[in-house]
Amino acid sequence: MIRTERIDVAVIGGGPAGMAAASASRQAGAARVVLIERDPRLGGILNQCIHDGFGTKVFKEALTGPEFAGIYARKLKESGVETWLESTVIGFSPDRVLTICSRKGITRLETGAVVLAMGCRERSRGAIGISGTRPAGIYTAGAVQAYMNLRNIAVGRRFVILGSGDVGLIMARRLSLEGAEVVCVAEILPYPSGLARNVVQCLEDFGIPLYLNTTVVEIHGNSRVTGVTLAEVEPGGKMKRGSRRRVVCDTLMLSVGLIPENELSARAGVKLSPVTRGPVVDDSFQTSIPGVFACGNVLQVHDLVDYATLEAEKAGQSAARYSQAQVLPAANIPVEAGAGIRYVLPALVSGQEAVDFTMRVTAPSRERAIVFTDGTKEIRRLQQQVLAPAAMARVRLNRGRFDGAKKLVVEVAD
Amino acid sequence: MKAIITCVVCPVSCPVEVEYHEHEILSIDRNQCKLALEYVRNEMFDPRRTVTTSVEVEGGAMPLVSVKTDRSIPKTQVAAAMKAICTVRVKPPVRTGDVIVANLLGTGANVVATRDVDPAATGAG
Repeated sequence: MIRTERIDVAVIGGGPAGMAAASASRQAGAARVVLIERDPRLGGILNQCIHDGFGTKVFKEALTGPEFAGIYARKLKESGVETWLESTVIGFSPDRVLTICSRKGITRLETGAVVLAMGCRERSRGAIGISGTRPAGIYTAGAVQAYMNLRNIAVGRRFVILGSGDVGLIMARRLSLEGAEVVCVAEILPYPSGLARNVVQCLEDFGIPLYLNTTVVEIHGNSRVTGVTLAEVEPGGKMKRGSRRRVVCDTLMLSVGLIPENELSARAGVKLSPVTRGPVVDDSFQTSIPGVFACGNVLQVHDLVDYATLEAEKAGQSAARYSQAQVLPAANIPVEAGAGIRYVLPALVSGQEAVDFTMRVTAPSRERAIVFTDGTKEIRRLQQQVLAPAAMARVRLNRGRFDGAKKLVVEVAD
Repeated sequence: MKAIITCVVCPVSCPVEVEYHEHEILSIDRNQCKLALEYVRNEMFDPRRTVTTSVEVEGGAMPLVSVKTDRSIPKTQVAAAMKAICTVRVKPPVRTGDVIVANLLGTGANVVATRDVDPAATGAG
Protein backbone atom coordinates (compact mmCIF):
# COMPACT_ATOMS: atom_id res chain seq x y z
CA MET A 1 0.00 0.00 0.00
CA ILE A 2 1.22 3.48 -0.79
CA ARG A 3 1.08 5.92 2.12
CA THR A 4 0.34 9.54 1.31
CA GLU A 5 1.60 12.38 3.50
CA ARG A 6 1.30 16.11 3.16
CA ILE A 7 4.14 18.36 4.31
CA ASP A 8 5.27 21.96 3.90
CA VAL A 9 8.82 21.68 2.60
CA ALA A 10 10.73 18.65 1.29
CA VAL A 11 14.50 18.86 0.88
CA ILE A 12 16.09 16.23 -1.36
CA GLY A 13 19.65 15.40 -0.27
CA GLY A 14 21.28 15.37 3.18
CA GLY A 15 24.66 16.88 2.31
CA PRO A 16 25.75 20.33 3.49
CA ALA A 17 23.36 22.19 1.15
CA GLY A 18 20.36 20.03 2.07
CA MET A 19 21.03 20.27 5.81
CA ALA A 20 21.46 24.06 5.65
CA ALA A 21 18.35 24.51 3.48
CA ALA A 22 16.16 22.35 5.74
CA SER A 23 17.25 24.09 8.96
CA ALA A 24 16.75 27.53 7.41
CA SER A 25 13.34 26.52 6.10
CA ARG A 26 12.19 25.48 9.60
CA GLN A 27 13.61 28.64 11.14
CA ALA A 28 11.79 30.71 8.51
CA GLY A 29 8.48 29.27 9.74
CA ALA A 30 7.76 26.16 7.67
CA ALA A 31 5.89 23.84 10.06
CA ARG A 32 6.75 20.42 8.71
CA VAL A 33 10.08 20.06 6.91
CA VAL A 34 11.33 16.65 5.76
CA LEU A 35 14.91 16.00 4.66
CA ILE A 36 15.24 12.95 2.42
CA GLU A 37 18.65 11.22 2.17
CA ARG A 38 19.40 7.95 0.41
CA ASP A 39 22.50 7.15 2.50
CA PRO A 40 22.30 5.75 6.04
CA ARG A 41 23.93 8.93 7.33
CA LEU A 42 23.81 12.68 6.86
CA GLY A 43 26.74 14.74 5.59
CA GLY A 44 27.02 13.69 1.96
CA ILE A 45 30.46 14.03 0.43
CA LEU A 46 31.83 15.75 3.57
CA ASN A 47 31.99 12.35 5.30
CA GLN A 48 34.86 11.32 3.05
CA CYS A 49 36.54 14.75 2.95
CA ILE A 50 38.60 14.16 6.09
CA HIS A 51 41.11 16.93 5.22
CA ASP A 52 40.75 20.41 6.66
CA GLY A 53 39.96 23.75 5.06
CA PHE A 54 36.17 23.81 5.37
CA GLY A 55 34.42 26.68 7.12
CA THR A 56 37.02 29.41 6.68
CA LYS A 57 34.33 31.84 5.44
CA VAL A 58 31.42 30.90 7.74
CA PHE A 59 33.24 29.90 10.94
CA LYS A 60 36.61 31.64 10.36
CA GLU A 61 38.49 28.41 11.05
CA ALA A 62 39.69 25.47 9.00
CA LEU A 63 37.52 22.50 9.94
CA THR A 64 37.60 18.99 8.50
CA GLY A 65 34.67 17.83 6.36
CA PRO A 66 33.13 15.60 9.08
CA GLU A 67 33.40 18.41 11.65
CA PHE A 68 31.70 20.87 9.29
CA ALA A 69 28.93 18.35 8.56
CA GLY A 70 28.55 17.66 12.29
CA ILE A 71 27.78 21.32 13.01
CA TYR A 72 25.00 21.38 10.40
CA ALA A 73 23.63 18.00 11.52
CA ARG A 74 23.26 19.39 15.05
CA LYS A 75 21.59 22.54 13.70
CA LEU A 76 19.21 20.35 11.75
CA LYS A 77 18.22 18.35 14.82
CA GLU A 78 17.74 21.45 16.95
CA SER A 79 15.57 23.14 14.34
CA GLY A 80 13.09 20.25 14.35
CA VAL A 81 13.50 18.94 10.81
CA GLU A 82 12.37 15.34 10.22
CA THR A 83 15.18 13.32 8.67
CA TRP A 84 14.31 10.31 6.51
CA LEU A 85 17.49 8.29 5.98
CA GLU A 86 17.92 5.37 3.55
CA SER A 87 15.11 6.92 1.55
CA THR A 88 15.36 7.49 -2.19
CA VAL A 89 13.22 9.82 -4.26
CA ILE A 90 12.19 7.77 -7.29
CA GLY A 91 9.51 10.08 -8.65
CA PHE A 92 9.05 13.82 -8.86
CA SER A 93 6.19 15.52 -10.71
CA PRO A 94 5.73 19.22 -11.57
CA ASP A 95 2.89 19.51 -9.02
CA ARG A 96 5.57 18.86 -6.38
CA VAL A 97 4.55 15.33 -5.46
CA LEU A 98 7.49 13.10 -4.56
CA THR A 99 7.52 9.31 -4.64
CA ILE A 100 9.89 7.94 -2.05
CA CYS A 101 11.20 4.41 -1.66
CA SER A 102 12.45 3.23 1.74
CA ARG A 103 12.36 0.17 4.01
CA LYS A 104 8.84 1.28 4.98
CA GLY A 105 7.76 0.86 1.36
CA ILE A 106 6.57 3.55 -1.01
CA THR A 107 5.51 6.97 0.27
CA ARG A 108 3.70 9.59 -1.78
CA LEU A 109 4.71 12.99 -0.44
CA GLU A 110 2.62 16.04 -1.31
CA THR A 111 4.64 19.18 -0.65
CA GLY A 112 4.16 22.91 -0.42
CA ALA A 113 7.68 23.46 -1.73
CA VAL A 114 10.67 21.35 -2.74
CA VAL A 115 14.37 22.15 -2.38
CA LEU A 116 16.68 20.24 -4.72
CA ALA A 117 20.04 19.56 -3.03
CA MET A 118 21.23 16.33 -4.65
CA GLY A 119 24.81 17.47 -5.19
CA CYS A 120 26.95 16.43 -8.12
CA ARG A 121 28.69 13.44 -9.68
CA GLU A 122 32.16 13.00 -11.04
CA ARG A 123 32.87 12.82 -14.74
CA SER A 124 34.14 9.35 -15.54
CA ARG A 125 36.29 7.73 -18.21
CA GLY A 126 33.26 7.43 -20.49
CA ALA A 127 32.72 11.19 -20.30
CA ILE A 128 36.19 12.03 -21.59
CA GLY A 129 36.64 9.17 -24.06
CA ILE A 130 40.17 7.84 -23.46
CA SER A 131 41.06 5.04 -25.87
CA GLY A 132 42.71 1.75 -24.95
CA THR A 133 41.78 -1.43 -23.15
CA ARG A 134 39.27 -1.68 -20.32
CA PRO A 135 41.23 -3.08 -17.38
CA ALA A 136 40.55 -2.81 -13.65
CA GLY A 137 42.34 0.05 -11.91
CA ILE A 138 40.58 3.12 -13.29
CA TYR A 139 38.82 5.17 -10.64
CA THR A 140 37.44 8.62 -10.15
CA ALA A 141 39.15 10.58 -7.35
CA GLY A 142 36.01 10.61 -5.23
CA ALA A 143 35.68 6.84 -5.48
CA VAL A 144 39.29 6.37 -4.33
CA GLN A 145 38.57 8.80 -1.50
CA ALA A 146 35.46 6.88 -0.41
CA TYR A 147 37.30 3.54 -0.47
CA MET A 148 40.26 4.91 1.46
CA ASN A 149 38.61 7.21 4.00
CA LEU A 150 35.34 5.43 4.68
CA ARG A 151 36.06 1.77 4.00
CA ASN A 152 39.79 1.46 4.68
CA ILE A 153 40.54 -0.03 1.27
CA ALA A 154 43.60 0.85 -0.83
CA VAL A 155 42.76 0.53 -4.52
CA GLY A 156 46.31 0.73 -5.92
CA ARG A 157 50.03 1.22 -5.27
CA ARG A 158 51.27 3.42 -8.12
CA PHE A 159 49.00 6.15 -9.42
CA VAL A 160 48.83 8.47 -12.38
CA ILE A 161 46.29 11.24 -11.86
CA LEU A 162 44.51 12.80 -14.82
CA GLY A 163 43.09 16.24 -14.11
CA SER A 164 44.17 18.75 -11.49
CA GLY A 165 40.80 19.36 -9.86
CA ASP A 166 40.83 19.89 -6.10
CA VAL A 167 39.61 16.37 -5.26
CA GLY A 168 42.43 14.90 -7.32
CA LEU A 169 45.03 17.10 -5.63
CA ILE A 170 43.69 16.31 -2.16
CA MET A 171 43.86 12.60 -3.00
CA ALA A 172 47.42 12.91 -4.34
CA ARG A 173 48.43 14.03 -0.82
CA ARG A 174 46.26 11.46 0.93
CA LEU A 175 47.67 8.59 -1.17
CA SER A 176 51.24 9.80 -0.59
CA LEU A 177 50.68 10.01 3.16
CA GLU A 178 49.32 6.45 3.17
CA GLY A 179 52.38 5.14 1.33
CA ALA A 180 51.18 4.89 -2.26
CA GLU A 181 53.27 6.37 -5.05
CA VAL A 182 51.83 9.18 -7.15
CA VAL A 183 53.88 9.32 -10.34
CA CYS A 184 52.45 12.54 -11.73
CA VAL A 185 49.38 14.66 -12.34
CA ALA A 186 48.52 15.43 -15.97
CA GLU A 187 46.37 18.47 -16.76
CA ILE A 188 45.15 19.16 -20.30
CA LEU A 189 44.76 22.90 -19.64
CA PRO A 190 47.69 25.34 -19.49
CA TYR A 191 46.88 26.09 -15.83
CA PRO A 192 45.87 23.97 -12.79
CA SER A 193 42.12 23.41 -12.27
CA GLY A 194 42.47 23.33 -8.49
CA LEU A 195 43.30 26.03 -5.96
CA ALA A 196 46.93 27.22 -5.64
CA ARG A 197 46.93 26.19 -1.98
CA ASN A 198 46.27 22.59 -3.01
CA VAL A 199 48.92 22.65 -5.73
CA VAL A 200 51.47 23.75 -3.10
CA GLN A 201 50.42 21.60 -0.15
CA CYS A 202 49.30 18.48 -2.00
CA LEU A 203 51.79 18.25 -4.87
CA GLU A 204 54.88 20.40 -4.16
CA ASP A 205 55.08 19.17 -0.54
CA PHE A 206 55.42 15.61 -1.86
CA GLY A 207 57.51 16.34 -4.94
CA ILE A 208 54.73 15.20 -7.29
CA PRO A 209 55.19 16.67 -10.78
CA LEU A 210 52.28 18.49 -12.42
CA TYR A 211 52.41 18.33 -16.23
CA LEU A 212 50.31 21.08 -17.83
CA ASN A 213 49.07 20.89 -21.45
CA THR A 214 49.27 17.12 -21.03
CA THR A 215 46.69 14.38 -21.12
CA VAL A 216 46.32 10.60 -21.12
CA VAL A 217 45.82 9.35 -24.67
CA GLU A 218 45.86 5.62 -24.03
CA ILE A 219 45.37 3.17 -21.20
CA HIS A 220 47.35 -0.10 -21.19
CA GLY A 221 46.73 -3.45 -19.49
CA ASN A 222 44.32 -6.33 -19.84
CA SER A 223 43.06 -7.51 -16.47
CA ARG A 224 44.71 -4.62 -14.61
CA VAL A 225 46.14 -1.25 -15.64
CA THR A 226 49.86 -1.61 -16.45
CA GLY A 227 50.45 1.94 -17.60
CA VAL A 228 49.21 4.93 -19.55
CA THR A 229 50.50 6.94 -22.48
CA LEU A 230 50.78 10.67 -21.89
CA ALA A 231 50.95 13.26 -24.68
CA GLU A 232 51.35 17.00 -24.80
CA VAL A 233 48.53 19.06 -26.23
CA GLU A 234 49.16 22.08 -28.43
CA PRO A 235 47.00 25.20 -28.33
CA GLY A 236 43.94 24.32 -30.37
CA GLY A 237 43.78 20.79 -29.01
CA LYS A 238 46.11 18.85 -31.32
CA MET A 239 48.53 16.28 -29.88
CA LYS A 240 52.14 17.41 -30.19
CA ARG A 241 54.08 15.09 -32.47
CA GLY A 242 56.70 13.00 -30.73
CA SER A 243 55.45 13.90 -27.26
CA ARG A 244 53.89 10.51 -26.48
CA ARG A 245 55.51 8.71 -23.59
CA ARG A 246 54.49 5.66 -21.62
CA VAL A 247 54.35 5.72 -17.84
CA VAL A 248 54.11 2.59 -15.69
CA CYS A 249 51.31 2.58 -13.09
CA ASP A 250 48.70 0.20 -11.71
CA THR A 251 45.97 2.78 -11.23
CA LEU A 252 44.67 5.73 -13.20
CA MET A 253 42.74 8.19 -11.07
CA LEU A 254 40.49 10.71 -12.78
CA SER A 255 39.80 14.18 -11.46
CA VAL A 256 38.22 15.64 -14.55
CA GLY A 257 35.28 17.63 -13.34
CA LEU A 258 31.95 17.40 -11.62
CA ILE A 259 28.45 17.49 -13.06
CA PRO A 260 25.33 18.50 -11.10
CA GLU A 261 23.10 15.46 -10.59
CA ASN A 262 19.82 16.51 -12.18
CA GLU A 263 18.19 13.31 -13.46
CA LEU A 264 15.35 13.90 -11.01
CA SER A 265 15.00 17.60 -11.84
CA ALA A 266 14.89 16.84 -15.56
CA ARG A 267 12.18 14.24 -15.02
CA ALA A 268 9.92 16.88 -13.46
CA GLY A 269 10.66 19.25 -16.32
CA VAL A 270 12.90 21.72 -14.44
CA LYS A 271 14.69 23.89 -17.01
CA LEU A 272 18.45 23.24 -16.93
CA SER A 273 21.32 25.45 -18.06
CA PRO A 274 23.50 23.89 -20.77
CA VAL A 275 26.53 25.63 -19.22
CA THR A 276 26.22 24.80 -15.50
CA ARG A 277 24.11 21.65 -16.12
CA GLY A 278 22.10 22.83 -13.12
CA PRO A 279 18.63 24.41 -12.92
CA VAL A 280 18.05 27.95 -14.16
CA VAL A 281 17.11 29.91 -11.03
CA ASP A 282 16.03 33.40 -10.01
CA ASP A 283 17.26 35.39 -7.02
CA SER A 284 15.12 33.38 -4.58
CA PHE A 285 16.71 30.20 -6.03
CA GLN A 286 13.37 29.23 -7.57
CA THR A 287 13.62 27.05 -10.68
CA SER A 288 11.36 27.18 -13.75
CA ILE A 289 8.76 25.20 -11.74
CA PRO A 290 7.02 27.39 -9.14
CA GLY A 291 7.74 26.19 -5.61
CA VAL A 292 10.79 24.15 -6.64
CA PHE A 293 14.13 25.55 -5.49
CA ALA A 294 17.75 24.46 -6.02
CA CYS A 295 21.00 25.03 -4.12
CA GLY A 296 24.46 23.63 -3.57
CA ASN A 297 26.29 21.49 -6.11
CA VAL A 298 23.10 20.40 -7.88
CA LEU A 299 22.76 24.05 -8.90
CA GLN A 300 26.41 24.85 -9.65
CA VAL A 301 29.63 23.13 -8.65
CA HIS A 302 31.19 25.05 -5.76
CA ASP A 303 34.83 25.18 -4.66
CA LEU A 304 33.91 26.16 -1.10
CA VAL A 305 31.25 24.42 0.98
CA ASP A 306 30.75 27.69 2.89
CA TYR A 307 29.15 29.30 -0.16
CA ALA A 308 27.06 26.20 -0.89
CA THR A 309 25.52 26.43 2.59
CA LEU A 310 24.94 30.21 2.40
CA GLU A 311 23.15 29.74 -0.91
CA ALA A 312 21.18 26.83 0.58
CA GLU A 313 19.99 28.88 3.55
CA LYS A 314 18.54 31.45 1.17
CA ALA A 315 16.88 28.69 -0.91
CA GLY A 316 15.42 27.13 2.24
CA GLN A 317 14.00 30.46 3.40
CA SER A 318 12.45 31.03 -0.03
CA ALA A 319 10.88 27.57 0.08
CA ALA A 320 9.36 28.31 3.50
CA ARG A 321 8.00 31.60 2.21
CA TYR A 322 6.53 29.93 -0.88
CA SER A 323 4.90 27.13 1.10
CA GLN A 324 3.11 29.76 3.20
CA ALA A 325 2.23 32.41 0.58
CA GLN A 326 2.30 30.40 -2.68
CA VAL A 327 3.97 33.32 -4.38
CA LEU A 328 7.32 35.10 -4.45
CA PRO A 329 8.31 38.44 -6.00
CA ALA A 330 8.29 38.14 -9.81
CA ALA A 331 11.82 37.97 -11.19
CA ASN A 332 11.73 39.58 -14.62
CA ILE A 333 15.19 41.10 -15.06
CA PRO A 334 17.38 38.67 -17.03
CA VAL A 335 21.08 38.41 -16.21
CA GLU A 336 23.46 37.66 -19.07
CA ALA A 337 27.02 36.35 -19.03
CA GLY A 338 29.04 38.76 -21.18
CA ALA A 339 32.66 38.72 -22.35
CA GLY A 340 34.97 36.62 -20.20
CA ILE A 341 32.19 35.19 -18.02
CA ARG A 342 31.40 31.49 -18.47
CA TYR A 343 28.19 31.70 -16.45
CA VAL A 344 26.51 33.84 -13.81
CA LEU A 345 23.79 32.97 -11.31
CA PRO A 346 20.96 33.83 -10.74
CA ALA A 347 19.67 34.05 -14.32
CA LEU A 348 16.73 36.26 -13.31
CA VAL A 349 16.38 38.87 -10.55
CA SER A 350 13.39 40.62 -9.04
CA GLY A 351 15.13 43.87 -8.11
CA GLN A 352 13.31 43.68 -4.75
CA GLU A 353 16.34 42.86 -2.64
CA ALA A 354 20.12 42.62 -2.64
CA VAL A 355 21.50 39.76 -4.73
CA ASP A 356 24.68 37.73 -4.27
CA PHE A 357 25.76 36.89 -7.81
CA THR A 358 28.06 33.91 -8.29
CA MET A 359 30.03 33.43 -11.46
CA ARG A 360 33.02 31.79 -13.10
CA VAL A 361 35.35 33.37 -15.61
CA THR A 362 36.45 31.65 -18.83
CA ALA A 363 40.22 32.13 -18.38
CA PRO A 364 42.73 33.24 -15.72
CA SER A 365 43.72 36.91 -15.69
CA ARG A 366 45.22 39.55 -13.39
CA GLU A 367 44.34 43.17 -12.66
CA ARG A 368 41.01 43.23 -14.42
CA ALA A 369 37.47 44.10 -13.33
CA ILE A 370 34.07 42.45 -13.07
CA VAL A 371 31.63 44.95 -14.55
CA PHE A 372 27.82 45.00 -14.33
CA THR A 373 25.93 47.00 -16.97
CA ASP A 374 22.29 47.33 -18.03
CA GLY A 375 23.42 46.65 -21.60
CA THR A 376 24.87 50.14 -22.11
CA LYS A 377 25.35 51.97 -18.82
CA GLU A 378 27.81 50.77 -16.17
CA ILE A 379 26.12 49.85 -12.86
CA ARG A 380 28.96 48.48 -10.82
CA ARG A 381 32.67 47.83 -11.30
CA LEU A 382 34.78 45.66 -9.01
CA GLN A 383 38.53 45.67 -9.51
CA GLN A 384 39.99 42.14 -9.16
CA GLN A 385 43.66 41.38 -8.47
CA VAL A 386 43.22 37.91 -9.82
CA LEU A 387 40.49 36.00 -11.64
CA ALA A 388 40.65 32.25 -12.22
CA PRO A 389 38.15 29.67 -13.47
CA ALA A 390 39.04 27.55 -10.40
CA ALA A 391 37.79 30.22 -8.00
CA MET A 392 34.11 31.14 -8.11
CA ALA A 393 33.64 34.91 -7.88
CA ARG A 394 30.90 36.22 -5.63
CA VAL A 395 29.59 39.78 -5.97
CA ARG A 396 26.79 41.49 -4.04
CA LEU A 397 24.60 44.08 -5.74
CA ASN A 398 22.45 46.08 -3.37
CA ARG A 399 18.81 46.87 -4.02
CA GLY A 400 18.47 50.08 -5.98
CA ARG A 401 21.55 49.30 -8.05
CA PHE A 402 19.37 47.85 -10.79
CA ASP A 403 16.39 50.19 -10.49
CA GLY A 404 14.72 50.50 -13.86
CA ALA A 405 17.17 48.14 -15.59
CA LYS A 406 15.59 45.90 -18.25
CA LYS A 407 18.49 43.49 -18.08
CA LEU A 408 21.89 43.00 -16.47
CA VAL A 409 25.09 42.04 -18.26
CA VAL A 410 28.19 40.87 -16.39
CA GLU A 411 31.58 40.93 -18.06
CA VAL A 412 35.30 40.96 -17.46
CA ALA A 413 36.84 44.28 -18.53
CA ASP A 414 40.09 46.24 -18.21
CA MET B 1 70.50 32.59 -1.89
CA LYS B 2 67.25 33.00 -3.81
CA ALA B 3 64.00 31.08 -3.81
CA ILE B 4 60.51 31.44 -5.23
CA ILE B 5 57.66 30.60 -2.88
CA THR B 6 53.99 30.66 -3.85
CA CYS B 7 52.13 32.47 -1.10
CA VAL B 8 48.83 30.65 -0.40
CA VAL B 9 47.39 33.05 2.18
CA CYS B 10 44.79 34.18 -0.39
CA PRO B 11 43.73 33.21 -3.93
CA VAL B 12 46.00 35.82 -5.55
CA SER B 13 48.81 33.27 -4.95
CA CYS B 14 51.76 35.62 -5.45
CA PRO B 15 54.95 33.91 -6.68
CA VAL B 16 57.14 35.61 -4.09
CA GLU B 17 60.86 35.97 -4.84
CA VAL B 18 62.89 35.67 -1.69
CA GLU B 19 66.51 36.51 -1.11
CA TYR B 20 67.89 34.99 2.09
CA HIS B 21 71.04 34.20 3.99
CA GLU B 22 70.90 31.30 6.47
CA HIS B 23 67.89 32.07 8.69
CA GLU B 24 67.42 35.63 7.62
CA ILE B 25 65.30 37.06 4.81
CA LEU B 26 67.18 39.83 3.06
CA SER B 27 64.43 40.89 0.67
CA ILE B 28 61.14 39.76 -0.82
CA ASP B 29 59.65 40.80 -4.13
CA ARG B 30 56.57 40.24 -6.33
CA ASN B 31 54.24 40.03 -3.33
CA GLN B 32 51.14 42.22 -3.46
CA CYS B 33 50.59 42.51 0.29
CA LYS B 34 52.36 42.32 3.63
CA LEU B 35 50.86 38.97 4.65
CA ALA B 36 53.31 37.27 2.32
CA LEU B 37 56.28 38.13 4.54
CA GLU B 38 55.12 36.10 7.52
CA TYR B 39 53.93 33.25 5.32
CA VAL B 40 57.24 33.11 3.47
CA ARG B 41 59.27 33.30 6.67
CA ASN B 42 57.34 30.40 8.23
CA GLU B 43 57.38 28.41 5.03
CA MET B 44 61.17 28.80 4.67
CA PHE B 45 62.38 28.37 8.22
CA ASP B 46 59.61 26.54 10.13
CA PRO B 47 57.06 25.01 7.74
CA ARG B 48 54.16 23.38 9.57
CA ARG B 49 51.15 21.32 8.52
CA THR B 50 48.00 20.04 10.14
CA VAL B 51 47.86 16.27 9.61
CA THR B 52 44.48 14.76 8.83
CA THR B 53 44.10 10.99 8.50
CA SER B 54 42.06 8.15 9.97
CA VAL B 55 42.32 5.50 12.68
CA GLU B 56 40.77 2.04 12.76
CA VAL B 57 37.79 1.51 15.06
CA GLU B 58 37.41 -2.06 16.34
CA GLY B 59 33.73 -2.98 16.32
CA GLY B 60 32.54 0.42 15.14
CA ALA B 61 29.54 1.25 13.00
CA MET B 62 32.20 2.55 10.58
CA PRO B 63 35.63 0.91 10.13
CA LEU B 64 37.48 4.22 10.52
CA VAL B 65 37.28 7.40 12.52
CA SER B 66 38.73 10.50 10.88
CA VAL B 67 41.30 12.37 13.00
CA LYS B 68 43.48 15.48 12.89
CA THR B 69 46.30 17.06 14.83
CA ASP B 70 44.73 19.83 16.90
CA ARG B 71 47.54 22.17 15.86
CA SER B 72 50.04 22.13 13.05
CA ILE B 73 53.27 20.15 13.43
CA PRO B 74 56.65 20.65 11.73
CA LYS B 75 56.48 19.48 8.12
CA THR B 76 59.59 17.36 8.69
CA GLN B 77 57.63 15.27 11.24
CA VAL B 78 54.60 14.56 9.06
CA ALA B 79 55.85 11.19 7.77
CA ALA B 80 56.78 10.03 11.28
CA ALA B 81 53.39 11.21 12.52
CA MET B 82 51.61 9.11 9.89
CA LYS B 83 53.65 6.03 10.95
CA ALA B 84 52.78 6.59 14.61
CA ILE B 85 49.06 7.18 13.99
CA CYS B 86 48.90 4.15 11.69
CA THR B 87 49.42 1.69 14.56
CA VAL B 88 46.65 3.13 16.75
CA ARG B 89 43.34 1.27 17.24
CA VAL B 90 40.36 2.62 19.16
CA LYS B 91 37.11 1.18 20.49
CA PRO B 92 33.71 2.81 20.02
CA PRO B 93 31.97 4.97 20.97
CA VAL B 94 34.23 7.76 19.72
CA ARG B 95 33.11 11.38 19.93
CA THR B 96 34.30 14.42 17.97
CA GLY B 97 37.14 16.02 19.91
CA ASP B 98 38.15 12.85 21.80
CA VAL B 99 41.93 12.72 22.21
CA ILE B 100 43.19 9.65 20.33
CA VAL B 101 46.93 10.29 20.80
CA ALA B 102 48.19 12.83 23.33
CA ASN B 103 51.28 14.92 22.55
CA LEU B 104 52.10 13.23 19.26
CA LEU B 105 55.87 12.59 19.00
CA GLY B 106 56.46 15.31 21.57
CA THR B 107 55.20 18.01 19.20
CA GLY B 108 52.63 19.24 21.73
CA ALA B 109 49.85 18.44 19.26
CA ASN B 110 47.12 15.97 20.19
CA VAL B 111 45.49 13.72 17.62
CA VAL B 112 41.74 14.22 18.03
CA ALA B 113 38.68 12.58 16.47
CA THR B 114 36.85 14.69 13.89
CA ARG B 115 33.64 12.65 13.86
CA ASP B 116 31.43 10.44 16.03
CA VAL B 117 31.55 6.68 15.57
CA ASP B 118 29.04 4.52 17.44
CA PRO B 119 29.45 0.82 18.16
CA ALA B 120 28.26 -1.48 15.36
CA ALA B 121 24.57 -2.30 15.67
CA THR B 122 24.04 -5.84 17.01
CA GLY B 123 21.27 -8.12 15.79
CA ALA B 124 19.09 -7.59 12.75
CA GLY B 125 17.19 -4.33 12.49
